[in-house]
Amino acid sequence: MTDVYVLGAGMTQFGKHPDRRSDDLGADAVREAIDDAGIDARRIEAAYCGHVFQGMVTGQRILAQLGLAGLPLSNVENACSSGATAVREASLAIRAGEHDVVVAVGTEHLTSRFRGALTPDPDDPEAAVGATMPGVYAMRARRYMEETGMTREQLALIPVKNKHNASLNPLAQFRKPVTVEDVLESRPIADPLNLLDCSPVTDGAAAVVLASGEAAKQLGNGRAIRLAASALRTGVVETEPTSMTFEPLTHMTATDAYERAGIGPGDVNMAEVHDCFSIAEVLRVEGLGLFPQGKYPAAVEAGEADLGGRLPVNPSGGLLGKGHPLGATGVAQVVEIVRQLRGEGGDRQIPDAKVGLAHCRGGKAVGIEGAACTVQILVR
Amino acid sequence: MTSGIDAKEAPVSFRPGELEVTGPGTGHLIGSRCGSCGAHYFPRRQACARCLSPEMETVPLSAEGTLYTYTVVRQSIPVFEVPYVLGYVDLPEGVRLMSQIAGCDPDDVRIGMPLVLSIEPFGEDEDGNELTGYRFRPATTEESHD
Ligand SMILES: [Zn+2]
Repeated sequence: MTDVYVLGAGMTQFGKHPDRRSDDLGADAVREAIDDAGIDARRIEAAYCGHVFQGMVTGQRILAQLGLAGLPLSNVENACSSGATAVREASLAIRAGEHDVVVAVGTEHLTSRFRGALTPDPDDPEAAVGATMPGVYAMRARRYMEETGMTREQLALIPVKNKHNASLNPLAQFRKPVTVEDVLESRPIADPLNLLDCSPVTDGAAAVVLASGEAAKQLGNGRAIRLAASALRTGVVETEPTSMTFEPLTHMTATDAYERAGIGPGDVNMAEVHDCFSIAEVLRVEGLGLFPQGKYPAAVEAGEADLGGRLPVNPSGGLLGKGHPLGATGVAQVVEIVRQLRGEGGDRQIPDAKVGLAHCRGGKAVGIEGAACTVQILVR
Repeated sequence: MTSGIDAKEAPVSFRPGELEVTGPGTGHLIGSRCGSCGAHYFPRRQACARCLSPEMETVPLSAEGTLYTYTVVRQSIPVFEVPYVLGYVDLPEGVRLMSQIAGCDPDDVRIGMPLVLSIEPFGEDEDGNELTGYRFRPATTEESHD
């Protein structure tokens, strides 16, 4: 099987784009990724588009904007892992030997589709009794605090860290740092989570151009980053009540990715993880094995996950700071890692980063511990 | 239990596949029991996740449980009036389900508290007819706060 490389990466400004559509944003990101790869657009052989609420054939509308005709294209939906799933599908098409150069794009114009708290699909029995996504994570936070003694102030340090990182990222939705007091005094959404514990409603798009080892050698400009693993798993059905302070789905997906990449959690130099809520970063980082169970809040307090720390987590600002355009999120994580590994991280550059990990997790369905989870490992 | 339902017409379950309403304020949650290994599920499943047996039997679930964790939801979609307490309830069959927790001041809700199922009015259908749903309430309250 061939290796897969990221040749080019592109990403729009994240934020509110009242005058744009999801296909405008997607086309911007694809164009930037192709330019960044330095290749002729005619080299693109296939495309995958991740989105959640943008309607039928969003990917085709993007390609039409760019004049790219006739390519095989699939739109993929996996809730907040949609973009990451598009990257994985693109990588599989290359590993299978079907294509040499493939684009994966994620896009979402969420402000035109949605406001307020995200809820599961209305058919879901938990939606019928009043489940909201912040509510589900708030319940996990409450349980985690009860079991580990994490304080509310420690939890608030996650948005403080990520919004600080976002203040250094010109493409982030929020550029203003916040304090622990700001988090604690923001509007209550679902106790103990407040507004600043929740990722915002965001418009944006991101894209990557992937290539086989052969094509990367031929077309690459010396900046190609290897996509060492791209794992996808679905949550297991709960056959008995299990702990909600650990994520078996995240752990299972990570184990798959580590095995495929031949890399362990101790080799990871930076991680972009799915911090849709403050508590989510805690559960994910521990599920990924990057920090011991129950210990991440204290590690954050000690600065270990800061840009200058032992293992920077969400250097881009994460979903909390950079914004969370659902379908674009997983691709944007890969874009951040590619830029960091190339040394293009600007004011938030992590020195000597060689291995980056991107984690996405999306969706809620009754009786399963998480719906779709992806872990991707990139190596310089 | 909630009283005061005008029972001229039989109450209608808000989710007939998940809650059977047998009369005003009475009924039970509907789950599946694996005929092969005995695992229970809510909502019902077509096959057992533990042993993959398709021999699933529809069974009523226990009306008693304990609270695993909870939150007070302060922002929701318009059909739900905020704030409300939302929790995960563990049933003795080994099933965890989500439910609103009623009949208790949010400040008095505690992880591990014993709860009982309550069949009560729960929203309306598109024509404005009252539907019957469920919440869990503290098992030990002396007074109901309706
Ligand atoms: Zn079974």
